[in-house]
Amino acid sequence: MSKLARLLSILALFPALRLGVAQEEVYLKVTTPGVQRVVIALGELPLLAGGDPLVASRFLEALRSDLRQSAVMSLLSEEAARLVEVDPKNALLTRQRYRSVGAHFLLEGNLIASAGQLVAEVRLFDLASGEVAYSRRLQAAAPLAATMAHTLANELVRLLTGRTGPFLSRFAFISDRSGHKEVFLMRWDGSEVQQLTNHKSVALAPAWSPAGDWLVFTSFLSGRPQLYSLRPTEGFLKPISSLPGVNSSATLSPDGTRVAFAAGDGGNTDIYVVPVTGGTPERLTSSSAIETQPAWAPNGRQIVFTSSAAGSPQLYIMDVEGTNIRRLTFADTFADEAAWAPDGVRLAYTTLVEGRFQIAILDLRTMTRTVVAGPGNNESPCWSPDGSTLAFVSDRTGRHQIYVTDPEGIPRQLTSEGSNTSPAWVASVR
Amino acid sequence: MLRRLGNILVIAGLAAGALDLSACRRPKPVVAPELPPSGAATSAGAATAPTPLASTVREEPTVATAELPEGAVAAQELPADLAALNQAGYLADVYFDTNKHELRPDARQALAANASWLRAHRTVRILVEGHCDERNTEEYNLALGWRRAHAVKDYLVSLGVEASRIETLSLGEEKPFATCHEESCWWQNRRAHFVITAR
Repeated sequence: MSKLARLLSILALFPALRLGVAQEEVYLKVTTPGVQRVVIALGELPLLAGGDPLVASRFLEALRSDLRQSAVMSLLSEEAARLVEVDPKNALLTRQRYRSVGAHFLLEGNLIASAGQLVAEVRLFDLASGEVAYSRRLQAAAPLAATMAHTLANELVRLLTGRTGPFLSRFAFISDRSGHKEVFLMRWDGSEVQQLTNHKSVALAPAWSPAGDWLVFTSFLSGRPQLYSLRPTEGFLKPISSLPGVNSSATLSPDGTRVAFAAGDGGNTDIYVVPVTGGTPERLTSSSAIETQPAWAPNGRQIVFTSSAAGSPQLYIMDVEGTNIRRLTFADTFADEAAWAPDGVRLAYTTLVEGRFQIAILDLRTMTRTVVAGPGNNESPCWSPDGSTLAFVSDRTGRHQIYVTDPEGIPRQLTSEGSNTSPAWVASVR
Repeated sequence: MLRRLGNILVIAGLAAGALDLSACRRPKPVVAPELPPSGAATSAGAATAPTPLASTVREEPTVATAELPEGAVAAQELPADLAALNQAGYLADVYFDTNKHELRPDARQALAANASWLRAHRTVRILVEGHCDERNTEEYNLALGWRRAHAVKDYLVSLGVEASRIETLSLGEEKPFATCHEESCWWQNRRAHFVITAR
């Protein structure tokens, strides 16, 4: 065979190899495309006389936005809603008309916005049965009009699915948009970005307390990596660990009382655990290899971590006492950044495929592993608080950005300013 | 056409090499800065690249100690300003293989020269920074950089430099010397970097 022919025959293998991994980039499919969501019609929600129309419209805008972005609900289209002739004297007839244009539920009620307060009295009619499926009086200070709408949208999702919706959830993440890596906060849809630290140093790897009242992260504020906790609502910074070593990769116990993290003297890095109230860190691992990236199991009893003991980074699991260490990954040349799904059964992690980072999901019951191939490098997976979707970091646009998968499992870019990494997702911030 | 195919194959080969992190025993440039610069993206890195290792490697580290004056005397020969002292390049940085913290032969040679200089300048205190390329995750790299810094410290100590004079710090992949996304930059970032903190 001539040299050229050999080159061509080798090259001919490449498209086939690429097709082997480059399937459709679908992460977690919650809904199947084409399957209908529950259609909610926003009926009459008049503002009672003398109310502040600005407050009312902030509430309604936020509610409409949530309904449009929901995985399980959708807002009746404006075109369809325009076909409905509202008969103020015949509510039953009006509801029948909404049903005839495709709505499953009708939300109506009234708003009172006065004396710095917003009150929403709402009812949700099941248009099939004609019954009131939900009725609620919500009240909040006027500046919290949008938060009140997100609370209502969350309750509607809970009514329909039994799970709380994502509308109050937020990401902590790291962004260099200010010129340094700082901790930032944003809503689950990428809106309302807020800078939390201004250390002008390097901040890494934020992790939430389960209740969303504080964050723990690594900062080089002192010149060396140390672990700090921060209350987002107060901005109060407190040192958690200044052991020798990296003081990185914090993870919180599900009861919020303990922090596991990576540190260690003499070049070695092991997993330690310390009460959030302070005290002497207790060492859990003791190998001479690198142990890092602990992830506390939702059952509170186990910790998954990365170890280089086998020569390459691989995932291991141990009991919280540091005993019963077992290796979890064997099919990967590299496995790191494990993240527990809230169900305690699945782990998302970062693997390496053809020299690029990709997200893998390991089912611990069956020990089956699913690798999703996306463009560029895809890493740092984190689960939505309800476990239905994933967020991760990809450099597919040339810079690292945070993506979140939609209900069909397709990733959507959330950030675009600077480089944005290390997403940590929490149900709500207190 | 053939040339283009060849290029594609080279790229494919590089990708395959990058994949096989555990088997990174491919030869590394010992005299690192002789590598051709690979365009604008690396120029920032090239500017901060160290003095050629070869010049320091040629020193005979074993004879140095006894013949040099005491530390206090030696310090007077050094630039008074710490920034200038660090600019002068008395201590050569050392480089690592992908994912490794073990010292390569060229690193050991450079460290022997560094140890000799440190033994001759006994008041000098140093910070050894461990750095990594951008592959691996950030937090794994932080641990790997820590390991590299200590591999260097331990070797210097074994060559007679007092441990109390050597601070260590990992910067992981946070402060790269070169910022492109290929091996021409990566090798420069897998290093232990010396900072003189007291003369």
